[in-house]
Amino acid sequence: MTHFLEKLVFGNRKIVVVLFAIATVFLGYQASHMRLDAGFEKNIPLNHEYMKTYIEHRQDFGGANNILVSVCDKNDNIYNQNFFDTLKNVHDQLFFINGVNRSLVISLFSPSTRFTEIVEGGFAGGPVIPADFNSSNPEALELVAANVEKANIVGRQVASDYSCAMVTAQLLDIDPQTGEPLDTLALAAELEEQLRGQYENENTSIHIIGFAKMIGDVADGAKDVLLFFAIAIAITAVMVYFFSRSVMLTLLPLVCSIIAVVWQLGLLTSIGFGMDPMSILVPFLVFAIGVSHGVQMINAVEKQAVTGIGAKRASMAAFRNLLVPGGIALLSDTVGFMTLLVIDIGIIRELAITASMGVAVIILTNLLLLPVLMSFLKLDQKYVEKFVGKENTNSRFWEVIAACSRKKPAAIILAVTAILFVFGHFQAQNMKIGDLHAGAPALHETSRYNQDTFLITDKYEVTVDYISILVETTPEACTSHSVMKAMDDFQWKMENVQGVQSAVSLASVAKIVNAGYNEGNVKWQVLPRNQQTLVQAISRVPTSSGLLNGDCSVMPIILFMEDHKAETISRVVDAVKTYRDEYQTDDMKFSLASGPVGVMAATNEAVSAAQDPMMLYVFGAVIALCLISFRSIRATLVVVIPLYVVSVLAQALMTYLQIGLTVSTLPVIALGVGIGVDYGIYILSTKSLMLKKGATVQEAYFAALKERGSAVLFTGITLAIGVSTWVFSSLKFQMDMGILLTFMFVVNMLGAIIVLPALARFLWWNKNDPGA
Amino acid sequence: MKKTIAACIAATFAVNYSTTAFAEEAFMASLVEQSVLLDIDADSFVVIVGERGHILVSEDGNTFSQKNVPTHSTLTATTVVGNHVWAVGHDAVILHSADKGETWEIQNYQPELQRPFLDVLFFDEQHGIATGAYGLFYRTQDGGKSWNAERHASLLDPMDQEYLEDIRKEDETFYQQELESILPHLNRVTLDGNTLYMAGEAGLLAKSTNMGESWERYYVDYTGSFFDIKPLDENTVLAVGLRGNIFVNRNAGEWEYVQTCSNSTLNSILVGSGSTVYALGNNGMMITAQRPLPTSMRDPYANPSDCVADEGIVASQIKDKAALLNATQFNGETIAVTANGIKTLNLK
Repeated sequence: MTHFLEKLVFGNRKIVVVLFAIATVFLGYQASHMRLDAGFEKNIPLNHEYMKTYIEHRQDFGGANNILVSVCDKNDNIYNQNFFDTLKNVHDQLFFINGVNRSLVISLFSPSTRFTEIVEGGFAGGPVIPADFNSSNPEALELVAANVEKANIVGRQVASDYSCAMVTAQLLDIDPQTGEPLDTLALAAELEEQLRGQYENENTSIHIIGFAKMIGDVADGAKDVLLFFAIAIAITAVMVYFFSRSVMLTLLPLVCSIIAVVWQLGLLTSIGFGMDPMSILVPFLVFAIGVSHGVQMINAVEKQAVTGIGAKRASMAAFRNLLVPGGIALLSDTVGFMTLLVIDIGIIRELAITASMGVAVIILTNLLLLPVLMSFLKLDQKYVEKFVGKENTNSRFWEVIAACSRKKPAAIILAVTAILFVFGHFQAQNMKIGDLHAGAPALHETSRYNQDTFLITDKYEVTVDYISILVETTPEACTSHSVMKAMDDFQWKMENVQGVQSAVSLASVAKIVNAGYNEGNVKWQVLPRNQQTLVQAISRVPTSSGLLNGDCSVMPIILFMEDHKAETISRVVDAVKTYRDEYQTDDMKFSLASGPVGVMAATNEAVSAAQDPMMLYVFGAVIALCLISFRSIRATLVVVIPLYVVSVLAQALMTYLQIGLTVSTLPVIALGVGIGVDYGIYILSTKSLMLKKGATVQEAYFAALKERGSAVLFTGITLAIGVSTWVFSSLKFQMDMGILLTFMFVVNMLGAIIVLPALARFLWWNKNDPGA
Repeated sequence: MKKTIAACIAATFAVNYSTTAFAEEAFMASLVEQSVLLDIDADSFVVIVGERGHILVSEDGNTFSQKNVPTHSTLTATTVVGNHVWAVGHDAVILHSADKGETWEIQNYQPELQRPFLDVLFFDEQHGIATGAYGLFYRTQDGGKSWNAERHASLLDPMDQEYLEDIRKEDETFYQQELESILPHLNRVTLDGNTLYMAGEAGLLAKSTNMGESWERYYVDYTGSFFDIKPLDENTVLAVGLRGNIFVNRNAGEWEYVQTCSNSTLNSILVGSGSTVYALGNNGMMITAQRPLPTSMRDPYANPSDCVADEGIVASQIKDKAALLNATQFNGETIAVTANGIKTLNLK
């Protein structure tokens, strides 16, 4: 099979190169149309129980995709002409931005912002900003100031210290102009340009938060990712040059790896995918895995070439030797990444497709194209001479390392590994699901977005961090005292849960209205038992309040949270599940959940539920492929055990770095396994061959190290240096990933060259080595 | 006078109890001290009552503990007499504790009445009254073991009384129905020596010299509701009510208007040290005044932006603008109850 392929490929070298060139040009053209693409829904587990509730009632109560714009006065007092003019402009501008749900743009200027006051004859009321409002008239401003108090909106639409006012909007999922899913990044750019760009000046500052803005800022930050890629590629190039001592041998593996990335991006575009800002690291991973295989290839060619057989025969031999182990490694990566498809969250599925496609094309570019290209080189005597001395120094170095598979060092290594594993395992148990910090975890704390989040949390009582529990009951249920009382009692219990800042529902509002009907006397702030009185109170609450649907068969209880840390969310969700049992009847269900935190709760649960199956599938794929290719349980074990230890340690590192498990970090562990498996398979394939030939464990290991070890060591270090530069990224997400990947590259490499042989010693013990 | 006594006696009924079928378990809430708290009273200890049947008791005025109360009905008023405490509220609930508020029993619970009690007052450990919405008026002679309903037509304004007497001549049943529906909310009763004062809905200010058996209604040139009435000294009675209205009565003369320039409803009067008196109200409003209170003409049609408060009247707001319901002095501190919970007021 390999021979047939070898003949086919190397017999038609030029045709192969031309075919690859054509494909690269075509896919490169496609890739040039690559666009960044972010969507709210693909981050959501749409089939999760909570999200079914969310989607079912989204029409009535709006989505969870909100934008909050806080307009702040630099002198900390909003009551001046300039401020109100700006606020009006911001309101109008936001209203006209495409993708904003215009019926749900709310600020002091929206007609639905009304006040009521109690007078001797009953109620008096009107819009907070009257129709004839003239911002240049100080008396008009005084009137608005008084109305703001009567409307009881301080802390919500007006900052508690009167330095800011809020404009909020909900976003549509579908662009009303095109009928396509909303282009979130374009919207984010418009928010930046048309709101902050136009209206932020020395008197006024504009603070914008919400998913769309966050992902927009991440996408902006992701543009630097290109620079970091370039740095990583440059570092890799320099390193490969020192390794190969040939400009051509440096360029070829890099070019082939870049071709793999180009193909991947081109293929993605061809099938109509965009690149999500959160998946932007995948192309780099593809590049890294490509380099890893490319270096193995040039290493193998070099090993052959030093015997003086010439570039073509050396390349053919390398192709023959590496096709199987390389192919298996890449195939297990591909299958491993594809298993991520079972996780029912759009963005993870996208990542599964992106990553597995990228890895699959490496089989073509680095195992096939690369040796073909190398076969055209002239590896003359001069080249060979460069390596004579190196081989000798290398041998001495590898002899030292090979000692790892002697019994005593092996025992020590395994003991240390076991201790690390146990430690890592316990640490990993503490790994948190979801976001661990306030604000957007993908961005640095000092970023504008997170600063804006902190400002809004600080100045207002409400934030985007809220969860709605939907009370699903029978039509007209809001006129029933028992239903409303159940809601009210449940709400009170939830308000007492730590992490809930405040809460609102039709029941709590009806109580306040009832007090209003009784001359504003707080002693009447109760739910009237009399149905007519209750109806009277409820009739003052419009459906646009978001507290009831048309026939009040569904009423949300909205809990505003102190933050959206995973711990807080799960505490609140658990409390909901406990308390609702006391109140639920056949006709009245308290369903989780809507609101941004409701979405997070579902996502956290889905991520948490996906974690174990994902590991199982990824490892399952690796184990299956190892079993098939090595036909040995022992060989499979020595590859998989170090990989598993490393993935547990990576989780421990995430815990230590306070990186929560989210949709964006969940796949990293799987990707890490993909990186590690290459090293193990390369080393083991030589080693098991030697063992079969009758070598002792140590001899076999020494041979494997000499043949493949330098490439593994080299790749691990090179890629680690490349990604470690990411700690300087303006995206916190990229920084975190940089640390994690550096760790994975280095530790997987160590696992393959130190732990693997030690394990092998114990599994094969005295194989072919009666005297050992 | 005779007529009113007769009316009163005729309106006395024995009360049905429905206490046995009912006992809710209290939910001990960490936020109870920030919940809607509606009344406070103190003797050798402090009792605070509020929404959801919350009762808080403190020995020192600083640390409060929530008590296990067998009702979730909102409690609107409380009174302390020796070791005894009564608390009343919505669903016509009356609660009693004989051990300084540690344990509670239900003395009355009638949700079907759909009327809340709004105040409670005991003359001694045996004799007390509870007043509430739509003329709700209960009396006990046995420490609350039994409560009897009364209806006091004498609390109505003279025109209404006249109208009722007319229909009574024709149809006693219809008279009772009308009386039932026409009586105002009885928001507050205050005892001063042997005189009982009443503040209520639609301009109701009244006094009684026979423990509320019969009432003499004052004439006030204001039709809004009053929420508190309190004698400041032998010759001066103060009343506060809706939309910042304060009236003062001196030497049993006319009720005179005190201009506060505030339109926040005033819920309670607090007599401070020296000549200072405070009125506590909605929106966290606190009106400070000095005795003797200056008065002025009331002009309901004046432009509010031109308002000038009477001399020595200062309006201030507490920080969170939560409605102030009542306050009491205890251990040298002024403890207030608000829609946002317990607050210590800083009075100078």
